[in-house]
Amino acid sequence: MITPARGWTEPYALHAPRTGAGAAFMIAGPGGVRVGGTGTRCESRGFLPSSSITAWNVCGIDIRYESRRSSNLAAIETSGLTKRFESLVAVDHLDLAIDREIFGLLGPNGSGKTTTVKMLTTLLDPTEGDATICGYSVKRDPLAVREQISYVPQDMAVDPKLTGRENVIFFAKVYGVPRPREIADETLAMLDLLPRADDLVRTYSGGMRRRLELAQALVHDPVVLFLDEPTIGLDVAGRRKIWEHIIALKDRGMTVFVTTHYMDEADHACDRIGIIDHGRVVATDSPDALKASVCRDIVSVRADGSLPGELPEGVTFLGRADGEFRFEVDRGDEAGLALSRAFTKAGLVVRAISVRQPTLDDVFLALVGETDETGAFDDRKFRRMLRRRA
Amino acid sequence: MKRMLYYMERDLRRWLRGRANVISTLILPAAWLIFVGLALPIRFTDNYLDFIAPGILVLTMLGASFQGGALLMFDKILGYLQKFLAMPAPRESILFGKILFITLRGLIQTTVILIIAIILGANFLDPVLIISIYAVLFTFGILLSSMMATVALKLEDHDSYAAINAMISMPLFFTSSALMPYDQMPDWLAAIARFNPVSYAIDAIRGLQAGIFPGTTLFGLCAGAILVLFVSVTVFRRATV
Repeated sequence: MITPARGWTEPYALHAPRTGAGAAFMIAGPGGVRVGGTGTRCESRGFLPSSSITAWNVCGIDIRYESRRSSNLAAIETSGLTKRFESLVAVDHLDLAIDREIFGLLGPNGSGKTTTVKMLTTLLDPTEGDATICGYSVKRDPLAVREQISYVPQDMAVDPKLTGRENVIFFAKVYGVPRPREIADETLAMLDLLPRADDLVRTYSGGMRRRLELAQALVHDPVVLFLDEPTIGLDVAGRRKIWEHIIALKDRGMTVFVTTHYMDEADHACDRIGIIDHGRVVATDSPDALKASVCRDIVSVRADGSLPGELPEGVTFLGRADGEFRFEVDRGDEAGLALSRAFTKAGLVVRAISVRQPTLDDVFLALVGETDETGAFDDRKFRRMLRRRA
Repeated sequence: MKRMLYYMERDLRRWLRGRANVISTLILPAAWLIFVGLALPIRFTDNYLDFIAPGILVLTMLGASFQGGALLMFDKILGYLQKFLAMPAPRESILFGKILFITLRGLIQTTVILIIAIILGANFLDPVLIISIYAVLFTFGILLSSMMATVALKLEDHDSYAAINAMISMPLFFTSSALMPYDQMPDWLAAIARFNPVSYAIDAIRGLQAGIFPGTTLFGLCAGAILVLFVSVTVFRRATV
C-alpha cells in the first residue's frame, strides 16, 4: 500500500495497491489519470520502483511517495526469536530491528549466525518468537517474506555450465519478473558483468561468481538482501569490489544483512554490527561505538628523561615500560600530536610516537573471548549440525 | 506451473552442455540390446530381440531415473536448493521440475534405444503402438524419478546415494520380467517379478505389442506413480519445512 509522502502536494495522487515487483499503479491528477502501468524499475517509463525510494520522476511530474511499510516498520524486526535443536539452543531470544543499513552479524563458528539467517529467510522454522520482514511474519506469511528478500548463501551456487546471462535470466524467470531478459541485462550491467555475460560461468573468477550471485539476487529488486559470508575465499580486489557493490545497494535504500568473519571488512562497511555468541546477541552498535566501549586509544611515546609535569587535557598516564610512556586518550591521532608538543616543551627529545586504536578484533575478543575449539573437532556432531541446517 | 518449466529448462541446458553424458548413458542399454538381445541362444522364442526390447526400453528409463535422482542430491549439497527455497515461487515446483526433467531425459534416451531396436529388426513401427509405449514409459518415469528424488532428499551425501543406486538398480531389473517370461522363471523369481514395478511397465509394453490393451497393468502402474509422487511431495515438504 502506498500513501503520499508527508511533503506531498496536490493535485496529483498516486494509487498503487501494493509495492514490489510488477506492482500496478496510476497517478491521477486534475486532467484525469496521467500515467498508469504495471511493472517495476523503469522510472522513466512510469513503472514503480519497488522498495523504499521516496522520489522519482515520471513523465516530467515529480512524484514522491512513501510506502507505509518502510515508514512505520523496520525492514527486519525480530522479537524473542529462538531456535532449539534438541538440547542445543542455537539462537536464544533474539531482538533486533534493522532498517535501511548494512547490518553485520559477527560471531565465532557455531554461534548461531547461519541459523539466524535461515530463520529470517524462511528456510528454518523458529522454535519460539517471531520475526517480520517488511511487516510480514516469517511464521505466518513466509511466501510474502520471500517476495521481499533475496538470499545469497556462502556456497557460491551458480551453474558453471551455463553462461552468466543464462544464470541470471533463469532467476528472473523463477521470480516471475516481467521482461526477464532486459532485467537480467540491467543487473549484469550494474555488477560490471555485461562484457562477460555470454561466457560460461566455468571461466569466471571467484569474485565474478560472487557478483553473478548478487546479480541473480537483485533481479526482483528485493527490499532486504541477506548475504552469508559474501567475501569468503575471494582475493583482496574481489572483496573490495563486492563491498563497493553492497554499499551502493544500501545507498539506494536497500537493507543488507551480512554475516562475516572478517572484522576489518565489517568495520569498514557495516553501519551497525551485532556480535552473537552462543545464540545470544551480546552487543549491537556502530563499529565506532563498539570500539570505544572496549577501550580508549593508546598512545606510546618513546623518549628519554622523566614525565613532563604538564600533560594535555583528556590524557591519562598509564605507566612507563621499556623507555616508553603509555597514555590512554580519547582521540589517538590528535592526542599524539599534543603529547609530542608537551614533551618537546619540557625539553625532552621524542624519538617515536605510536598510536594504537582498538579494532573490532579487540571488541570481539573482549565480548566473546577466545572460546575457539575447546574440544576435539567432532565430525559426527558437525555433520549432524549441517544436516539439521540443510 | 510455469516455474516448474523454468527449473526443467535449467537442467535441460546443463545436460545438453555436457556432451559426454548425453552419449555415455546410452551405451549400457545399447549393449544389452546388441550383445544379449541378438546373441543369447534362447529356446522359448525365435525372436528374442522382440521379446527383450521392451525390457531394454524400460531399463533405459530406469537408468535415467536413478541417475536423475543424483541431480537433486547435487542441488542439495552444492547449495542451489537453498537459494531456490528462499525464492517466492511455490517450492513444490522445484521437485516437479526435477521429476519432469528426469522423465523427459529418459524419454529422449529411450527414443535413441527404440531407433536402434528398430534398426536391429524389432517390430515397433506402428505409430499408435509407439505413442502408447511413450505413455507407458512416461508413467513409469514419473514413478521411478519421484522414488529416486525421495531417496535423494532423505540421504545426506552423494556417496550414500550412489550406494543405494548400485544396490537396487540391477536387482530391480533382474527380478523383473525383462529377460524371460513368467512361465520360464523359477517359482520364487516369478513371485517376486509379479510385484516388481519394472515388470508392470514391461508387461504393459508387451501387451501393447501383442495388440491387447493391458488395462490392469496400466492401472497398477498409474496408481503406483501417483502414490510415489504423493509420498515424494510429502517428504519434500517435510524436508524443506
